[in-house]
Amino acid sequence: MSAAVEAHGIRMTYGSLVAVEDLSFAVGAGEILGVLGPNGAGKTTAIRVLTTILSPTRGTFQVAGVPHTRPAAIRAGIGVLPESAGYPEQQTGEEFLRYYARLYGRSRTSAAAVATALLAEVGLAERARSLVATYSRGMRQRLGIARALVNDPAVVFLDEPTLGLDPAGQRQVLALVRGLARERGATVLLSTHLLAEVEELCTRVLILNRGRVAAEGTVSEIARTAAAPRSARVRVPAERVEDARGALVGAAGVESVEHADGQPGGLVVTFASAGEESGTAAVRALAEAAVPLLAFELEGARLSDAFLAMTGAA
Amino acid sequence: MVVAGQELRDLWLGGRALLLTFALSLVLSVVSYLVATNQALNYLEQRESVNLTLQVAVAVGALLALLAAADTISGERERGTLESLLVTPISREQLSAGKLAAALSLWAGAFLVTIPYVWYLGRGIGVVGEALAAGLLVGTLIAVFLASLGVVISTFSRSNRVSLSVSLVLLLALFAPTQFPTSAKQGWAGDLLLRVNPVTAGEHYIGKIVVDAHSWSHDASWLLSPVGGAAVFALAAIGAARSISLRGGSSS
Repeated sequence: MSAAVEAHGIRMTYGSLVAVEDLSFAVGAGEILGVLGPNGAGKTTAIRVLTTILSPTRGTFQVAGVPHTRPAAIRAGIGVLPESAGYPEQQTGEEFLRYYARLYGRSRTSAAAVATALLAEVGLAERARSLVATYSRGMRQRLGIARALVNDPAVVFLDEPTLGLDPAGQRQVLALVRGLARERGATVLLSTHLLAEVEELCTRVLILNRGRVAAEGTVSEIARTAAAPRSARVRVPAERVEDARGALVGAAGVESVEHADGQPGGLVVTFASAGEESGTAAVRALAEAAVPLLAFELEGARLSDAFLAMTGAA
Repeated sequence: MVVAGQELRDLWLGGRALLLTFALSLVLSVVSYLVATNQALNYLEQRESVNLTLQVAVAVGALLALLAAADTISGERERGTLESLLVTPISREQLSAGKLAAALSLWAGAFLVTIPYVWYLGRGIGVVGEALAAGLLVGTLIAVFLASLGVVISTFSRSNRVSLSVSLVLLLALFAPTQFPTSAKQGWAGDLLLRVNPVTAGEHYIGKIVVDAHSWSHDASWLLSPVGGAAVFALAAIGAARSISLRGGSSS
């Protein structure tokens, strides 16, 4: 698979402050790359470099096959939703999109057509002629995503698109992001703090910490490399909890089994070593003991555990 | 140009420019009433009435262009819309040029509003055509100079408030010599002060055409600083566009 975005040794400084150091990664066409990191990790700076807003102090990159030495050509082929983007309050959603479509060189007719189509795509068709001032935050973010698509970009950069949105708004935005890759075939670089959604949505993850790459790979690759302790939370019917405990204590790879505080039927299982095999053995032991399993969750196998371990943000 | 077109729509259809030109028409109405009254009482020559009104129109029209220009880049920065513009394929120079052109439309509007006042005050003595032509020429040069200055200030200002404040202080400094007593304007130092300042030089030139009925070429040297100021600052505004940054100040 050819790389849609490729960065080599990017360094970006603001005076004496190093915002990004030795940033190297690649993401293939049609992939969704989750860019994660605590506040100040360099996510926004990295996106600004890759979208040619900032010139890197050192390093090279290419976006959609265009080298960093041709910033205008890169901008023509990408879509960007900046962090905390503002919107002209006195324009309607339709006028706003038409204007941006014209900035990308579309004719008046084409700009009007693309504005109408995109407003429908992001679910704002009914508010097309309302002033942006009357839009909710979630609607503005969807309008921002529509704006990022006016040039039918090969690569889309979304910097914290769910920031400040309620759960319903977050769902809507993330559904749009999924559609960008699946239906449009665009490569998406998504900076966010919503780890659960990244796990569900992203094909690859890039974790930044203090300007450096802390990890890069698929969600499962990164989760496997996490230094988090491996354990599992089990929930069975309260009247069968002792049966379950007995079955788990004898299972291969299980080090200890404790009652979960304040949870009737809840158990915490600690494995002797990390690895999904131990979890499988524990589930098999419960099945063989005919104990109904209400819930089973491996801890230390989730992206959030890896994130906390790698960024020291626990 | 797409940026200029959108800016013009925002300025004029958004109502801001219409409001400002309406305010200008109120100012000109008051000035015209006062000079017409003085003219009737023989305190003021008819040509002087035209000159005074035209100079007020040029000053206020250029002020409007400066105010609009001072909001261009810093305003986008403050509203959080600058980054979205910078990631489009248009160059930063195109962005500044489009916004500068839209800001200058305020001067064009101000000039159109001025025409009936000059016609009314100057009718019957054959000065209207020359006065309007001189006003258009000098006013355009001063407006280009001031609007370009406003764009440069806006490019480097971290906030809109700073941009507007600095622009207004500079404007007052440039217009201050017009209020100096005649004695301060005499001698080589006074003459130099008036000539190097595009605003005072331009207004002096208008006075020579309208009041003294001089030929256009007779005092053409007074146009050097308005022409130079307009050219230098227009180029500076476009050149400074390379330094447009998200934070303001020096390029980041």
